[in-house]
Amino acid sequence: MTNHWNDIANADVILIMGGNPAENHPISFRWVDKAMVKGAKLICVDPRFTRSAAKAHIYAALRSGTDIAFLGGMIKYILDNNLIQKEYVVEYTNAAFLVDEKFDFQDGLFSGYDAKGRKYDRTTWKYQMDAKGIPKMDKTLQNPNCIYQLLQKHYSRYNLDLVSKITGTPKDDLLKVYKGYTETHKPDKVGTILYAMGWTQHTVGVQNIRAMAIIQLLLGNMGMAGGGVNALRGESNVQGGTDHALLFHIIPGYNPMPRATDKTLADFLERNTPKTQDPKSLNWWKNRPKYIVSLLKAMYGANATKENDFGYSWFPKLDEGQNASWLILFDQMAKGKFKGFFAWGQNPACSSANAGKVRKAMETLDWMVNVNLFDNETGSFWKGPGTDPSKIKTEVFMLPCAASFEKEGSITNSSRLMQWRYKAINPPGQAKPDLDIMHALYQKVRKLYKEKGGAYPEPILNLSWNYGPKGPDGTIKHPDPHFVAKEINGYTAKDIEVEDAKTKVKTVVAKAGEQLGSFAFLQDDGSTTSGCWIYCGSYTERGNMAARRGKADPTGIGLYPGWAWCWPVNRRIIYNRASVTWEGKPWDPKRAVIWWDGSKWQGDVPDGPQPAGDIYPFIMVPEGHARLFAAGLADGPFPEHYEPLECPIEKNLMSSQKLNPAVRLFGEPGIGAGADKYLTCDPRFPLVCSTYRVTEHWQTGVMTRWTPWLVELEPQMFVELSKELAKERGIKNGERVVVKSARGEVDAKAIVTERFKPFKIADQTVHQVGIPWHYGWVTPPDGGDSANLLTPTIGDPNTMIPESKAFMVNIEKKGGK
Amino acid sequence: MAKPKNLILSSTVFERVVHWVLAGSCLFLFLTGFGLMFHSLSFMANFFPGGHYIMKLLHNIVGIIFGIAFLFALIAWGKDTLYFDEDDKKWFRVMGGYLWEVEKVPEAGKFNAGQKMFFMVLFLFWFIMMGTGIFMWFPIFPAEITRWLYVLHALGVVVLGGFLVIHFYLGTYGNPGTFQVMGHGYVTKGWAKKHRPKWLRDVEAGRRSV
Amino acid sequence: MNEKVMLIDVSKCTACRGCQVACKQWNRLPAEKTQQRGTHQNPPDLTPATWNLVRFTEIPLREGGVRWLFRKDNCMHCEDAACQRACPVPGCIFKTAEGAVVIDTEKCIGCEYCVNVCPFEIPRFDSATKKVYKCTLCWDRIGNGQIPACAKTCGPGAVTFGPKEKMIAQAYARAKALGGDATVYGDKFVKGTHVMYVLPEKVRMYEKLTINPSVPVSVYLWKDFLKPVSVLAIGAALVGTFFHYIIKGPKRPEEGGE
Ligand code: HEM
Ligand code: SF4
Ligand code: SF4
Ligand code: SF4
Ligand code: SF4
Repeated sequence: MTNHWNDIANADVILIMGGNPAENHPISFRWVDKAMVKGAKLICVDPRFTRSAAKAHIYAALRSGTDIAFLGGMIKYILDNNLIQKEYVVEYTNAAFLVDEKFDFQDGLFSGYDAKGRKYDRTTWKYQMDAKGIPKMDKTLQNPNCIYQLLQKHYSRYNLDLVSKITGTPKDDLLKVYKGYTETHKPDKVGTILYAMGWTQHTVGVQNIRAMAIIQLLLGNMGMAGGGVNALRGESNVQGGTDHALLFHIIPGYNPMPRATDKTLADFLERNTPKTQDPKSLNWWKNRPKYIVSLLKAMYGANATKENDFGYSWFPKLDEGQNASWLILFDQMAKGKFKGFFAWGQNPACSSANAGKVRKAMETLDWMVNVNLFDNETGSFWKGPGTDPSKIKTEVFMLPCAASFEKEGSITNSSRLMQWRYKAINPPGQAKPDLDIMHALYQKVRKLYKEKGGAYPEPILNLSWNYGPKGPDGTIKHPDPHFVAKEINGYTAKDIEVEDAKTKVKTVVAKAGEQLGSFAFLQDDGSTTSGCWIYCGSYTERGNMAARRGKADPTGIGLYPGWAWCWPVNRRIIYNRASVTWEGKPWDPKRAVIWWDGSKWQGDVPDGPQPAGDIYPFIMVPEGHARLFAAGLADGPFPEHYEPLECPIEKNLMSSQKLNPAVRLFGEPGIGAGADKYLTCDPRFPLVCSTYRVTEHWQTGVMTRWTPWLVELEPQMFVELSKELAKERGIKNGERVVVKSARGEVDAKAIVTERFKPFKIADQTVHQVGIPWHYGWVTPPDGGDSANLLTPTIGDPNTMIPESKAFMVNIEKKGGK
Repeated sequence: MAKPKNLILSSTVFERVVHWVLAGSCLFLFLTGFGLMFHSLSFMANFFPGGHYIMKLLHNIVGIIFGIAFLFALIAWGKDTLYFDEDDKKWFRVMGGYLWEVEKVPEAGKFNAGQKMFFMVLFLFWFIMMGTGIFMWFPIFPAEITRWLYVLHALGVVVLGGFLVIHFYLGTYGNPGTFQVMGHGYVTKGWAKKHRPKWLRDVEAGRRSV
Repeated sequence: MNEKVMLIDVSKCTACRGCQVACKQWNRLPAEKTQQRGTHQNPPDLTPATWNLVRFTEIPLREGGVRWLFRKDNCMHCEDAACQRACPVPGCIFKTAEGAVVIDTEKCIGCEYCVNVCPFEIPRFDSATKKVYKCTLCWDRIGNGQIPACAKTCGPGAVTFGPKEKMIAQAYARAKALGGDATVYGDKFVKGTHVMYVLPEKVRMYEKLTINPSVPVSVYLWKDFLKPVSVLAIGAALVGTFFHYIIKGPKRPEEGGE
């Protein structure tokens, strides 16, 4: 989230699209309701009339996988009706920037496409630079190469008729949504977007969000209280997970993963540290070397020295061009490339797209360690349906672990808010906190490397591991989460002095050995450490900031700066410098986030301490301006509508590129082409399907399916379908049916409902259905199995997130046609 | 038992057993029922181990006994009670001589018109009490109906309550000598002549035994 | 009196069913074996082990589209509680200072009077324990300064709990703000209930919500008329026979008739 949960209460218009917060983020509705009590309008766009839709003032249905068409229509509506917040767009976005003349877009393809490699050469997707190396601009927005003009040209094709034909949304409804949402172009009207997996899990996942980001920028809603682009994270600590680099391509604090070709630290830093010639651009990432060196110091401690590149050579690296994302990992596993697998707090046998393939893949393993609260389909894959245990060689170890309330530690929620949690009760039986399990594992691995050597023992042996009080023999008996939290924050090995800009007087801000108060003090000379720079300031000399419980709200807009701690530097709304004019006056004085009082900033912690007017607001990009045109993505600088891998229509009505041209294909189309088969526009699978969650279960249900009270509420796998489709198929409400895709089938109970309606897509009737993905064969006995047995192996080209929100299925009555 | 002198048998053993089972169960039903109806009488539940629950259960079970006993009562007295004849009409005109002085009370058979009426009312309310009671115990009907059963049951209590007191009075103090009918079963001829002359003639003529 | 009201603002309810689970947790009620029957409402109805049920109603609109209404259903805690009037066991259904109408299951004899007279169809008979159960307004919490478990858990703030007057005022203010068909449900019948609703739609749109509820006439006839009359009838009979005895005298058989 750029903003935070409570901040939803500040919005004038709330758009729920690609998400279903009423069901999947139930507490968020506390803030949605607060906003509505104050008069806010709620708009919900979803293929299915959800519990969120039930609360909305405006609801519009769209076919799964057509969000860009829908939002592209909104961009066109904004531009056609001149509903941009002009000053904001000109000053704070790259609308005025001129783009390389060779940049082009023709029939669904941007310039530089390589059809064989299914990828783009992005050299033409760049700004024109002046002699000083500063991007050229035309603030009148008239130059045909300026981004504003390119944007207008790109979205001129997204007219109401075409959008309606693609999305299936009636034109009236489109207009209602467009009109309702774009009200917020006025400086004192703010709109927010709440989205989740309904936007990300597509072959155009990143571009869905980009499209909305463009809208938010055009309307001037970024950085504002009640605005922003807000990803509702699906797990309480998934934000913390990404911050600390649970993804393969980043290392803590959103730094890129080193590649094998980055031979030295200098190479790596050179390639990854952005530069700018513009004095008004703060270009925050210029500090990257400080963060990387501090990270290396945190990892290797005293073993990391200037001479050995701070241990850079011990740091894990990706091969050039290597993709180690989820889908690829399991693809490799299926091909027998893995010996063993730690399934730690996860259940890929149910959670992974094309779960049937994953279940088969696990049969190739020699061993598996399943760390979880309960038995699950992953740990028990060897006795799953259709599996013969006597033929499976895999040895499975189950390590029971402690639940969140059985251990101490922090979680970081969608608000980027790091909150400390205390242990309420002891874990049952042999269950242990994850930290204890990891600690024991590390001690053992280290001992083996030390005693027996190994291919490359240094990375293990040189690791600094000080996660608990040491006994007289130098060993740690019990690891302590406070030690980990302190290391994540970081400390300094020498005094840090800061010089006052005016008086030139130097003062010591941190003494040697002290915990650091801010990442502003991190150094690239090895004198500071920080396990994750964005968390620097979370555990300082003043103590554990995440454990704070201050309830003061000095600004009155719900920032609660004394409650826990939020990264970066306790800034509650990021990009907040965009909420004020160049002079530092809030666009919306009623809900001022920050303001310049003539000598200093008031309100939230500003994005950069420089006085008003000194720097551009978007400090995280080298050009300092928010990107309407974003050159960094794999599939184009502007979002473009492409059909999902599996779709109900023969042709993309927007262009002759049916599928996102930059996605990576697994397997070949057609039944029988291995586990990755897919079928599009096949009469055997005429129904558009989407997976989703319900309030009562969580993720693959490993926690909730063992909770009888929750099973009572949602006892069995179901499929929701319209009355019209049910009539066509002779399916009665509550009846048992089978849902099939090219990859597998699951049994389900039919919920025949008014909440799904057939779509008119390109003049043909298209039915959509939906299924939850919470079930699995282990428990409850009559619960059903995973919806992911049906989903395809395909991912977004930028993130590789699987496309489980739009694929094709069929429904049959159980036991016959 | 040997036939006492000067006395005449007025009821069979069967009749007396049925009567007392009926009366006993009815009294029990009254007492326990009141224990349920009036919180002020709830001390009655203390007489039962298990309190209200057992008291209620016994009320229900005794209710069944009462119900069955009444079936036997029908066998015993049905043919003598479930009709009115000319004399009965006349009897009603003078109210059996109970309320004001009359020359001559019309002659009655084994049961006079008042007793017949009592039995008929009992029959009707037997039906009502059984019909409501059973479905109060096992409420298989919708609440909207069941809640009216409570009303009917209570109505039964009102009517039967009044009737039973009068019945008790007439069977004891109000008609000296009558209690014997349900006691040892023998009455004097004089009593029989006064209360059931037609019956006496029938017995003496050998047209009926009791 | 320290009367309290639980206000259920249906317009804010997202049917998350946190309250349904919290109720079971606080009251230690077991989960029931259920089936997916073609609706998210589960269990299908209130039961002896489910005192709080979120009802889902789908209503297609004539002008197209659909309404999906959610209503948390539990005992209304009537000021004039038909169940309490009917209960034969003294102290078995009692009222707390806050206005909670509570069944003391220890005392309950399972006669089901309350089940059959409740205008909101709330109490449920358990044939296994032969007792009747329903929501207690968490009297064991509110008596100790806590709010009911369901109110405590309600994330969106659809369920709130507080002093009666304040909640009634709040309810009317909210209904007014919602406009349209919005109404307040609860203060205008059975002398006021201690659970009230703000309903954005007409009462009849909600499943199993009684339109114009009242203590059934049968209860008055039964408990306020026939009950005293039964004593009167017996008393009158006793008095009547007594006077008959002393005025008219018993009917003696003619002397010497033997
Ligand atoms: C002369 C016959 C009877 C009398 C005088 C009698 C009296 C009563 C009274 C006074 C009550 C309490 C009513 C109230 O609370 O308003 C009652 C309740 C009840 N009676 Fe009877 N009753 C009789 C016969 C029966 C029979 C035959 C049955 C069926 C088996 C029956 C079943 C019930 C039931 C089920 C109740 C409800 C109270 C409870 O279940 O505890 N009663 N009765
Ligand atoms: S907890 Fe609140 S929002 Fe959730 S179902 Fe209950 S009343 Fe509705
Ligand atoms: S709603 Fe029913 S059970 Fe609850 S107090 Fe009122 S009458 Fe009694
Ligand atoms: S069932 Fe229990 S609570 Fe209900 S009226 Fe009878 S005794 Fe009272
Ligand atoms: S008040 Fe208590 S008993 Fe009643 S529904 Fe709420 S949680 Fe359940």
